[in-house]
Parts: sequence; structure tokens; C-alpha cells
Amino acid sequence: MDLGEGLVPVAVDQGLCVGGGICEMLEPAVFELDDDTVISSVIGDGLLPRSRAEAVVNRCPAQAISIAEQEQ
Amino acid sequence: MGPCAATDPTNVTEPSLYLQGIPHDRFARLRARPDLAWHPYESDGFWAVSRHADVRHVSRNPELFSSAIGHTNLWDLEADALEARRSLIDTDAPDHTRLRRLVARAFTPKNIRRWESTVRAIAAELLDEFTAQGGGDWVDMVAAPLPIQVILTMLGVPTEDAAYLVELSNYLVEGTGDAQSIPPDAFGNTTDLRLLPFNSPASHALFEYGEGMRQRRRVDPQDDLVSHLVQAESEGEQISRSEYRNMFHLLVFAGNETTRTAISHGAMALAANPHEWQRVLDDPALIDSATEEILRWATPVMHMRRTATADTELAGTSIAKGDKVVMWYASANRDEAVFEDPFRFDAGRANRDHFAFGGGGPHLCLGAFLARLEVAVLLEEMAKRSIWLEQTSDPQRARSNFVHGVLSVDMRPKRAP
Repeated sequence: MDLGEGLVPVAVDQGLCVGGGICEMLEPAVFELDDDTVISSVIGDGLLPRSRAEAVVNRCPAQAISIAEQEQ
Repeated sequence: MGPCAATDPTNVTEPSLYLQGIPHDRFARLRARPDLAWHPYESDGFWAVSRHADVRHVSRNPELFSSAIGHTNLWDLEADALEARRSLIDTDAPDHTRLRRLVARAFTPKNIRRWESTVRAIAAELLDEFTAQGGGDWVDMVAAPLPIQVILTMLGVPTEDAAYLVELSNYLVEGTGDAQSIPPDAFGNTTDLRLLPFNSPASHALFEYGEGMRQRRRVDPQDDLVSHLVQAESEGEQISRSEYRNMFHLLVFAGNETTRTAISHGAMALAANPHEWQRVLDDPALIDSATEEILRWATPVMHMRRTATADTELAGTSIAKGDKVVMWYASANRDEAVFEDPFRFDAGRANRDHFAFGGGGPHLCLGAFLARLEVAVLLEEMAKRSIWLEQTSDPQRARSNFVHGVLSVDMRPKRAP
């Protein structure tokens, strides 16, 4: 699947998330922390340009965010 | 440790070394080695991790480098002491995740921004008083009261108790070194010191204070962090009494001591580098980078320890299961391989990948965004008032290899040079 302009889908492992909120701060259109559980979820289409996706992956302290490479 | 530890050029743990500041020359030698150095400590020792990349590796591999075994400080605790003192800091997933989520909500970047006006009002009042008095002890007048007033407001502690909690916190810092100035039974303590954080009777007093608040919030909940924890307890969200009191202790200590240190070193850096302060005044967009540079420069917590859960390898060095591994943030934040001209205080530094809040792993400082807010707002309020700082005494530093504390340093406000 060609996502165009190097867009990649991101995913959150909710078991690892420690609720730091860095993903939501960096990419508010893609990540949202639940007000109650303080766990991050992907919202919308969950697509980011690869370089920005990698930045969020690297900044997440819990290493809960990954680039969900699509298997075809 | 005997007096020889101070003169042995490979020793980085002797607390008295830190009375003169971080022994950067010794860390530079550690970074220059291709491998990890084995550092003797008491009857055992640890692997000294000094490079930025290696610290990040340890921090981001918590399954291999545990926080829950032994202790996160240099010395091991006996099992009963570790249990009695265990907090967010000394846990691995899933305990760490569970405890962290109980308080994480209050500290997300989004929620921290709501405290901006509170922080600004406190900073403004402290700076106005500092200026009106013609200066004085910067730690006492600005660096200590700003963060403690903020964290106590968040916790719900009345402001009239702030001075008492600052006093307790100062004794805790002593407890990270090798000299305590208060007797074991201070504050009516009867607990074996082994079972208290920092082996300090002040921890007993802080536990008692936290317990009192817990009781009050039980019957009269407010919109504050203690009430939230009490509520979590009553809703069966699995926070034990011991976990509550260690959490309260951690929030009070970490919420004031560390930012106080950043603000103290920040003031010294600005006084020593007036051209850098001029850059910030000329371009307010530099407040953010100046804040990050102050955090890198200060490195309030100088190290954290992990324990290897399996045989592994780092920097070509074999680490055995059970070995202590110590991440020296104080060294990583001066790593020449990452920071250009690392011993220069550069208010406009583009590289913000410092380890003032840990090495990038799950134990990332809970209060990172609160600390950033406090430093940034203080700089903004200083800029607004055109306050230039002149340092008028040597700093009195903490005798500690753990917190980069400044007990006092005199500053005077002056006009632009």
C-alpha cells in the first residue's frame, strides 16, 4: 500500500503507556490521552510523515509508540 | 570510604568532591575510555555509564536494567527496607505503570499549562521582594520557595506549612550525603533509619505530615492531588498505605528539591554569562532554549542506578546478571559527542536532548513539564523586570553525589551593564 508522501501509520501499546503526554503535545491531531485513564490512543487516521512519526517514537519514554509497518 | 577516595582520580562518588562542584575532569576521563569502568563502591562496585548513548541504552531497556532490584541509589537496601521505602522510582512495570498512572494526569503537558498563571503570580511576588530587599540568598528568596509553593498548591498543602516542608526537604538532601546533622530520634522518630527514605528522620516527619493530610482529605475531599490519591485508594485502585506515603514523600521532595537546584544553577550561569542573558532579553523566543540549557547545565539529579537482570553487554563490556549499573546524567549532559562545546552555557543551544529528566526511559521525571514551566516563567518575569543578576558569594554546595544541590548563594539585582 502506498500511503503517499511517506506517511506511515502509528500505534500505541496501551499496556506500556505511562501517560507522559509527550505524544499528545507533539502530535495533537494523532494522539489523545484519555482524561480518565491517562492512556494514549491514536485518533483520526493515525498517519504521520515518517520523520515526525520517528520523532514521537524516540521521545516516548515508555516506548509504547511504534510505526505500524503494513504487511502486504 | 576513607580520605584516599577524594584523591584517587578515578573516584566519582566521594561526596566531599561535590563541595567544589561536579568532578567534570574525572567524568571526561570515563567518557574517553572505549569501555565501561568498574567503579569500586563500599564492599562491591558498579559499572559507571558516562556517555550519552550508553545512558540512553540503559534507561530505555528497563527489562534488562531493573529499577526494582536492590535500590536505585548506589548502595543496596535490605529487602525489608526496600519494601518500606519503595516508590514510583524503585519499581518496574507493571507496578511502575500502575502507580504512575495514579498521578500522571496532573503532570501532562496539557494539564501543567493550566498552572501557568499560578506559577507566574508566585514568581512575580518573589522577584519583587528580592528586588525590594536589594538581593540576598537566591536559594532562600527565589529558588526554594517558587517550586515548593507550586507543588504544595498542587498537593493541597496550606502555604503556612511551606517553611516546615522546606526544612524537612533540606534534611533529606543531607541524607543523600554522608553527614546528617539531626539525631535519629528527631521529629519524634522511632523508626529504624534503614526503613526511611534517605535514612533520614525527616522522612518520618514527612510521612506523618502526609498521613495527617490523608485523614483530613478522607472526610473533606478537595480538588487537589492528595484528595485524588485518597479517592483512588477508596475506589480500590490498588494503592497501599506504604505506596501512598512514599508517593507523598516523593512528590514533596522531587517537586521542590530538583527545580530549586535548576533555578540556583541557572542564576549562577546567567550571572557568569551576562552576554547570554542579553541574548534572551533581545530575543524572547530564546526563553525555551535557555530553559533547556539551564536544565542541562544544572543536571539536578546526577545519577540513577539500575541492576542487570541478565548477562548483557554494553560498550564492549560484559555485564553480569546482578551487577549494578549507574547512569551518570551529569556526565552524559557534558558529552562532547552530543553537545557541541558542552562546557559553554549557550542560551540558544539547539540540541535539547539532555538528560536532566532521566535518560529517555519510562522513569522520565514525572514533573518534567512542571519544572520547565517554572524555569521558563521565572525567566520571563526576570526579563519583564530587566533583572540582571550579580553573584556576590560563593555557592555553598550540598555534600552529595546524587543531588547537585546548592544550599545558598547570594545574588544582587543590578542594572543592565
